Amino acid sequence: MNEKRTMTLNLTDVEMGVLEELARRKDLSKTAVIRQALRLYQTVDMRLGRGEKLIFEDEAEKKKSEVMVL
Amino acid sequence: MSSSPVVVIRRADNAVVQAELIDGVQPRDLGLIERVWTPVRAQILAKLRAASVAPVDWPQSLRWDWSRKEGELKLLEAGGFGVICDGDWQGVMLTKSASHVALLASQRSKPLVYVDYVETAPWNWPIAAIGEQGRYRGVGSVLIREAMNESIRQGFKGRIGLHALPQAERFYDSVCGLTEIGRDPNKQNLLYFECSPEAAEKFLDEGGES
Repeated sequence: MNEKRTMTLNLTDVEMGVLEELARRKDLSKTAVIRQALRLYQTVDMRLGRGEKLIFEDEAEKKKSEVMVL
Repeated sequence: MSSSPVVVIRRADNAVVQAELIDGVQPRDLGLIERVWTPVRAQILAKLRAASVAPVDWPQSLRWDWSRKEGELKLLEAGGFGVICDGDWQGVMLTKSASHVALLASQRSKPLVYVDYVETAPWNWPIAAIGEQGRYRGVGSVLIREAMNESIRQGFKGRIGLHALPQAERFYDSVCGLTEIGRDPNKQNLLYFECSPEAAEKFLDEGGES
């Protein structure tokens, strides 16, 4: 069930730069960042599908904004 | 699903007993666990009432229902772990690996394994007020240790986080060496704990046991 399959991921320089920066800041490998992104996307998509909302809140500025996810 | 050998302690004679740690608990397992645990919970509840024990002193997971958590396991970020001994599930734990990040100052915003639910079987609860000594101890430690190991496997360096029920706060603080972050008003004001990579390494090296 946990057998891994390999794929090639083509990224632009900018995208690769973002991936490398995220990997550095999160203390993860680039593969782990992509895996985390997929997990999070699925979780968000499932919860939105149940009718929940994704909201960013800035307590200091007392602002809330709903995030629309594709 | 995979399994590996672990040990738990039989309270009656302090004997070390072989058990099996399961990685990959399935939704159907949660249904089975609940079917077996429900009548035991009911017996405990009846004894607590008969002994006039105040509800505030009842085990705080007494009304949990694992069968209602089956949907949690559909997510990629979800992990399910359990301990089997004597042919029975002695404890179970559900984790999430993407939707929570570290709050500990030295680890802020780094990924961690969040322990969503963890519980030992009701026959393992020592409840002095009704003369229950509990069958096995060490099940909770085995599961928390596995959360740290899962964190290491995921590349999270042993970082874990969890909200503790009040009756379990001392266990996470004193036994597991987790750091208290603070009460969370968004989670029934439960105390939130985290484990740093250093604390995880220490707990794992010591073979932490409850």
